Amino acid sequence: MRKALLKGFLDMLPLCLAVIPWGILCGSLAIQNGFTAVETQAMSLLVFAGSAQLVAIELIAGNTPLLTILFTTFIISSRHFLYGLAVRHKVIDQPMRWRLPVSFVLTDELFAFSHHRKAYRTKIRLIYALSAGFSFYTAWNLWTFIGIVAGSLLPDLTHLGLDFAIAATFIALVIPGIKNLATLATVITAGVMATLLKSQGFELWLVAAALTAMTVGYIISRIKNKTEHNL
Amino acid sequence: MMTTILLMACITFFTRYLFLHRALPFKVGPKMQQFLSFSAPAVLTAIWVPIVFVTDEGVNLDWQSPYLSAAVAAIIVAYKTHNIYYTTLVGMGLFLILN
Repeated sequence: MRKALLKGFLDMLPLCLAVIPWGILCGSLAIQNGFTAVETQAMSLLVFAGSAQLVAIELIAGNTPLLTILFTTFIISSRHFLYGLAVRHKVIDQPMRWRLPVSFVLTDELFAFSHHRKAYRTKIRLIYALSAGFSFYTAWNLWTFIGIVAGSLLPDLTHLGLDFAIAATFIALVIPGIKNLATLATVITAGVMATLLKSQGFELWLVAAALTAMTVGYIISRIKNKTEHNL
Repeated sequence: MMTTILLMACITFFTRYLFLHRALPFKVGPKMQQFLSFSAPAVLTAIWVPIVFVTDEGVNLDWQSPYLSAAVAAIIVAYKTHNIYYTTLVGMGLFLILN
């Protein structure tokens, strides 16, 4: 149990550090745009979704209608449906007291640690996941707090190029998992599609790129299965 | 303002929780499961690749870009070591030197 707690924390640590620039930005940007300290911290404590928070702060500051803000939040958050679907068979037999906290911290980062066949299926694996998930939650709120308190004194770390830290950690999570042609094709498609769609300013770039890439990976794995059966 | 924040929180939680809700009457079949097995590499890659290539001015394919060189180095280290600490350190280290 202690080992699972520690492993969850240590596995998530690089990702906790990689989001320092974004967490601080969430805090300082909100304060600059007239949010109170309590509102800013409440956003990280309750919403707990970096990209949605950053976009919403700008929209709220620009007096955007509430419905537009909520719709945009929904679009940015819609990738979570994929995560829920992907881990459903692993988590669904667990009682509510486990499923509820798991879903609350089911971020991109935690999802990256959910691929193991037995993930969420044993008590030890649940403790591991919650340790990783809630250490990320704690870190995110700590960085937001630093942004609230010291935001005006610090430079914008994301414009210093420190946004690369997220890219580096995600590379470390994705590359070792490429073990066959189907996954390689998925990764290449996702990268090309996301770059094209995002640079064109297409709102649904992330989900559209992911779904296209998953389709390519799926088709290739099906073709491979068929040819192997025919041999 | 607090109302907006609370409503946003409901939306993000809803998107995370929905498919972990037991009363939803469906089972993910084997084909769907195989399709979903590609979701982690797909989504994570769709997040990191634009960080490397997309700037406010558009797509940057310049080989001199510190983002690109550091990403290539990180990919090599990740491939060779399978270690997130080494990969992040080498990637960030090279990035900071070049930048």
